[in-house]
Amino acid sequence: MQSAVEVKGLTRVFEPKKKKEGKSVTALNKVDLRIESGELFGLLGPNGAGKTTLLKILSTLLLPTAGKAFVAGFDVEKDFTEVRKRINMVSGGEISGYGLLTVKENLWMFTQFYGMKSSVAKQRIDELLTQFGLADKKDEKVRTLSTGQRQKMNVIRGFVTDPEIIFLDEPTLGLDVNASRVIRDFIVDWVQAKENRTVLLTTHYMMEADQLCDRIAIIDDGRILACDTPENLKKLVKMNRTLKLDVTSLKDTSKFGSIAGVEQFTFQDDAEKNQTYLKFILTHDSAVTDIISEVQRKGARILSLQKTEPTLEDVFIKMVGKGFE
Amino acid sequence: MSDTWLITNLRAIRGRAYPRVIGSKREPSWLFFDITLPLLTVSAYAYIYKYMDAPPEFVGFVILGGAMTAFWLNILWAMASQLYWEKEIGNLQLYLIAPISRMSILAGMAVGGLFMTAIRAAATMIIGILLFGIALSFAQPGMIILVFMVTMVSLYGMGMMFASLYLLLGREAYHLSNLLTEPVYLASGLYFPVRALGFWAAAGASIIPMTLGLDALRQLFYPSSGSEYGFLPVNTELAILAVLCVVFLWLSKYSLAYMEKLGKTTGRLTLRWQ
Amino acid sequence: MAVSHDLRTFKNAAWLGWQMEANWTDPFVFATYSIVKPVAGSLILVFMYLVITGGETQTPFFSYMFIGNAFYMFVAEVLFGVTWVIHDDREHYMTLKQVYIAPIKFYIYVFGRAAIKIAITTVGVLVTLAFGVIWLGVEIDLGAVDWMVFIPALLVGLLTMLIMGLALGGVTFLTAKHGMGINEGIAGVFYVLSGVIFPITVLPEWAQSISYLLPVTYWMEALRRGLSPDLMTSLSGATGLSDFSNLEILLTLALSAVAFLFISSAIFRYADKTARRKGKIDWTTSY
Repeated sequence: MQSAVEVKGLTRVFEPKKKKEGKSVTALNKVDLRIESGELFGLLGPNGAGKTTLLKILSTLLLPTAGKAFVAGFDVEKDFTEVRKRINMVSGGEISGYGLLTVKENLWMFTQFYGMKSSVAKQRIDELLTQFGLADKKDEKVRTLSTGQRQKMNVIRGFVTDPEIIFLDEPTLGLDVNASRVIRDFIVDWVQAKENRTVLLTTHYMMEADQLCDRIAIIDDGRILACDTPENLKKLVKMNRTLKLDVTSLKDTSKFGSIAGVEQFTFQDDAEKNQTYLKFILTHDSAVTDIISEVQRKGARILSLQKTEPTLEDVFIKMVGKGFE
Repeated sequence: MSDTWLITNLRAIRGRAYPRVIGSKREPSWLFFDITLPLLTVSAYAYIYKYMDAPPEFVGFVILGGAMTAFWLNILWAMASQLYWEKEIGNLQLYLIAPISRMSILAGMAVGGLFMTAIRAAATMIIGILLFGIALSFAQPGMIILVFMVTMVSLYGMGMMFASLYLLLGREAYHLSNLLTEPVYLASGLYFPVRALGFWAAAGASIIPMTLGLDALRQLFYPSSGSEYGFLPVNTELAILAVLCVVFLWLSKYSLAYMEKLGKTTGRLTLRWQ
Repeated sequence: MAVSHDLRTFKNAAWLGWQMEANWTDPFVFATYSIVKPVAGSLILVFMYLVITGGETQTPFFSYMFIGNAFYMFVAEVLFGVTWVIHDDREHYMTLKQVYIAPIKFYIYVFGRAAIKIAITTVGVLVTLAFGVIWLGVEIDLGAVDWMVFIPALLVGLLTMLIMGLALGGVTFLTAKHGMGINEGIAGVFYVLSGVIFPITVLPEWAQSISYLLPVTYWMEALRRGLSPDLMTSLSGATGLSDFSNLEILLTLALSAVAFLFISSAIFRYADKTARRKGKIDWTTSY
């Protein structure tokens, strides 16, 4: 079967505007990726990892420096017109559209860029507005919408043209729980409703990726570090256990990383509460005693202790070497 | 080129023109400023001609020029700089991923802008005519309409070219449009017959379509003034404007394709900065 | 302590204003940009004049018109500049709210930003005047300038414009859409009614009576009387203000500055309070 997205050795280097103004930045470094038709695929990575750059190349907004990218079997560089007929894109925090138009008018305007017949477009817009709970806002000017309502409108804009492949760049960024849930539920239903619909989703939110995605690629510094189902990714840290400790402010944490049985160690200071949060990925339970001893040796007091099973976040920390700051 | 392609692009033009057309209806308060502000300048220049005991047609020249400023300002701020603002609010990338010719977006902007501005310009002209009690000749209505249409197509063709040339600009877009205001008013002879600049300067300024368009309209509205104040015969001006139509539309298509490719290569196409 | 804090605000705002005005390009392009625009604006009038008179520029009226037009740049740019600070910060940079809640006097910040506008405009005015004197025979003899009239007139007039700008800035708080239109409109009214490029005597009588109420009418007259006293003697009577002595003109200007200080402060305070009540400090229209 035809892959929805296929990327081979994709590299993108951004050169500074003027040579003396800085160094070039390699946003994507020989990325290989294949997303099958019908998949809900997640791209997980910290800020600046290269997620948006990859999406821009796939959506024909940016040319690669090297390598190839195909969407629905079409080369994004050469066959961009064919690619565009089959895609759409939604970004988190988007403020697209015109403030003086109503919600329905804005959505209608964007359907016209896809050659949709007005009557068909209007009917589909009405259906989607109802589905997203925005029917009562359809005649309101866009500038009167709340952040959540606006993003729901953006999501409708992306889906109303019924693309084969949709690129969602952090679509729930900054939204409250309810708005996020409505959007997530819609994405899952949409991809399952018809065969060969594909979603490529970038996100910051581990839980979102874990819940929604059939497969996830972890990307950092322009490279794909791992790519598998969430379950298989978690198996990568299967043998490990996670220990979380909240302790009174700890000045010196240099020893923790070298304790036997500690594979990864991260910490965070909360100066306001005068506390330090320690997080360990352990290969052996025996490390727990040594960690507690070290905490006491440093004169700190344990406020709480929690041992957890591996999560996607742990996988991420293992792969990337740091959490999301 | 299939029917579907044509219909898709016609729909795109309609879609992009819509916000501009509906904007006039929805925000009528803009009309007040768009009509009043040019009238103030027109009044000042009309009074200076009156003070100098200029022939009466000069007040008419100024009013026609004042109406034409509306189109030029629309070209600068709602065509040339528009893609920069579209980039800022995130619309540009959505236009660029759509399966349509980029020219349809520009054409939609132009059609909507032309419609909106024509209303303002007509209002400025009518109020100016009533205020200063000037009499225009309508002896050749067909020619007046033809010259106006050809001027507008070439002018908005130039606007479409500007829009693509501005595509990769950031804050410079604002300053460039600002810079192209008074110097173009001067070069195009918006407030005096362009012939006063001398033949070669006026010929050079004729690259801006409103130079010849305005000169031709002045000659048509004041048939007796042509020999003394007209730059070239009306038919010659019309022919040159027709050539400019083709040249600017072709250049806008070429420059847009070039700038888009350049933007996609350098990564500056969707980059926002202040 | 408070004074040094205000001075720092002013200095930082002026620095920021300079960056916004000038750092989008290299100094040469910026200098060209700052000069070409005002000179072109003046040349429109020059050609209007030439096409009617057939080439003679060494006349009192030409100098009257040219000088008035050059100084009008201050009216347009200062009124525009002050309002633009609020519009630009709110709509484009979206920093108005941060500046507004900072522990500084907001109007000092606005004046700091506007000061740069005045400085750049001053260069434009000087270049335009020099262009007029050297190439077009505009009557300005530095030896004959009445500095005792010109300097106070320039300073008081600029202050009046800044004060009026503050009131318009207040209006901009409330009308995101039309703030710039309103200030352009007011500047345009001054252009028509204040004897900037033609004596007010050519206006209909009802319009002349409005002219006498506008401070710019006295400002333009005082600037010309200071800068080119001989020119104004030869035009005396035709300007419509010949009944006023130099001192009376300056006093009228100063009084209007004081009056506008009260009016503008009241408008700004009202607008500030209303904008906060209606939540308009940080809105954007995103047209």
